[in-house]
Amino acid sequence: MTSLTGRKPALIAVDGVAGPAITAAARAALTSIDRAARSGVSHWDASGLFEELAVADADAGQPSVRTLLLLYAADLAFRLRWEIRPALAEGRCVVAAPYVDTAIAFGRAAGLGAAWLSNLFQFAPRPDARRFAGASARGSRSHMSGGFVEFGCEHVAGAANGVTRAELMDRMGTYLRARSRVRSAR
Amino acid sequence: MTPSAPSLRGLRQRARAHFTDGSRRRGLLVAFEGPDGSGKTTQRKLFKTWLKAEGYDVVTTKWNSSDLIKPIIRSRKAVRALSPEEFSLLHGADFRHRVEQVILPALWAGKVVIADRFLFTGLARDVARGLDLDWVLKLYQPLLWPDLVFYFAVSAGTSGKRILATRTPRFYEAGQDVTEVEDPVESYQRFITRVIREYESLALIFNFLTVDAEQSIGDQHRQIRDLFRQGEKRPWSDWNADAVAEWLAMGGGEA
Repeated sequence: MTSLTGRKPALIAVDGVAGPAITAAARAALTSIDRAARSGVSHWDASGLFEELAVADADAGQPSVRTLLLLYAADLAFRLRWEIRPALAEGRCVVAAPYVDTAIAFGRAAGLGAAWLSNLFQFAPRPDARRFAGASARGSRSHMSGGFVEFGCEHVAGAANGVTRAELMDRMGTYLRARSRVRSAR
Repeated sequence: MTPSAPSLRGLRQRARAHFTDGSRRRGLLVAFEGPDGSGKTTQRKLFKTWLKAEGYDVVTTKWNSSDLIKPIIRSRKAVRALSPEEFSLLHGADFRHRVEQVILPALWAGKVVIADRFLFTGLARDVARGLDLDWVLKLYQPLLWPDLVFYFAVSAGTSGKRILATRTPRFYEAGQDVTEVEDPVESYQRFITRVIREYESLALIFNFLTVDAEQSIGDQHRQIRDLFRQGEKRPWSDWNADAVAEWLAMGGGEA
């Protein structure tokens, strides 16, 4: 990652499969920034909507991947408004963990089209730097709590379409690693 | 979740076969659209009663009514915490959930689904809030097109009069989040004017069946019956194959 010394405001995106790995990478990214320029970490579900979703009545039905991603985008819009943009406006560096790539990888792994996903997150600014929290998919399966992906795997409807949780996580890991390699090569 | 490409093709074919099978009555989706105070709900109720008397199995779905997402939207509206993007995305999520849980199961079962507001409500309101039409429309993909869209056309003045006769417009209904006008009545007039302008564009683009909502209730109802009789013979729209296929991939249509 480019060295961020706090001279300029910056948005650092940390994406990955496993919630604990993303959290650890976000912490590491934050400590790499000059203390004076640090803002903090913007975590998923800052708006609390997934917390509400988790306690919804079972009769309400489970969301599909597409519905879940619309909700993720709504939560991200909230994080941008209340956490990320204000930090940048104050000239600080902010870490978004996870940001857009995790959600896109989740959607792609579940078979959603790239064009729809790209449109969905069009409102989110391009990060100044990116980090891939590269815990293995196997590792993430043993920590089924804490992250958006874990939440999605727990709550999403449509398991009958044949994409198992393990396959979904493996596909996500492959997708994110490939994106990471492409960006490094540029 | 969506299936891989080869099975998606198969599911599209299954959708087509199901909805074009002439041996049984196919599901029909009828949307009622228009600004607040245009009398949609009155007409929707009359239409439902008539359809049932004619022997149709009818299901109604209202805007922002999914058991899963509605509470989330309601709590945020109560504290006026939604930006236009959040407002749009949450309503898009509510819509998608209802498509998957209510609308498609009913259509698959051969029922008539009456939607009291459909995705065009999201488009008109979100664009009136300053969002880009193309961005909002794509949120609703894969698109599910109604067989018929009745658009209840009223002027901003009539809409305002009818709403104010019963209550003061609520914060988001009055568009106070974007007009920044303190008086809800004044804000409503400004906002509904924009919403109607968007609806009128959508009516042209998407070929809505316009009902003059300034007519008497009886005249409107008769017009709707006639339009329905003509419209129910329309063939199933192949544009809907993707939406149905995605639902089938999630296990829909198995009961």
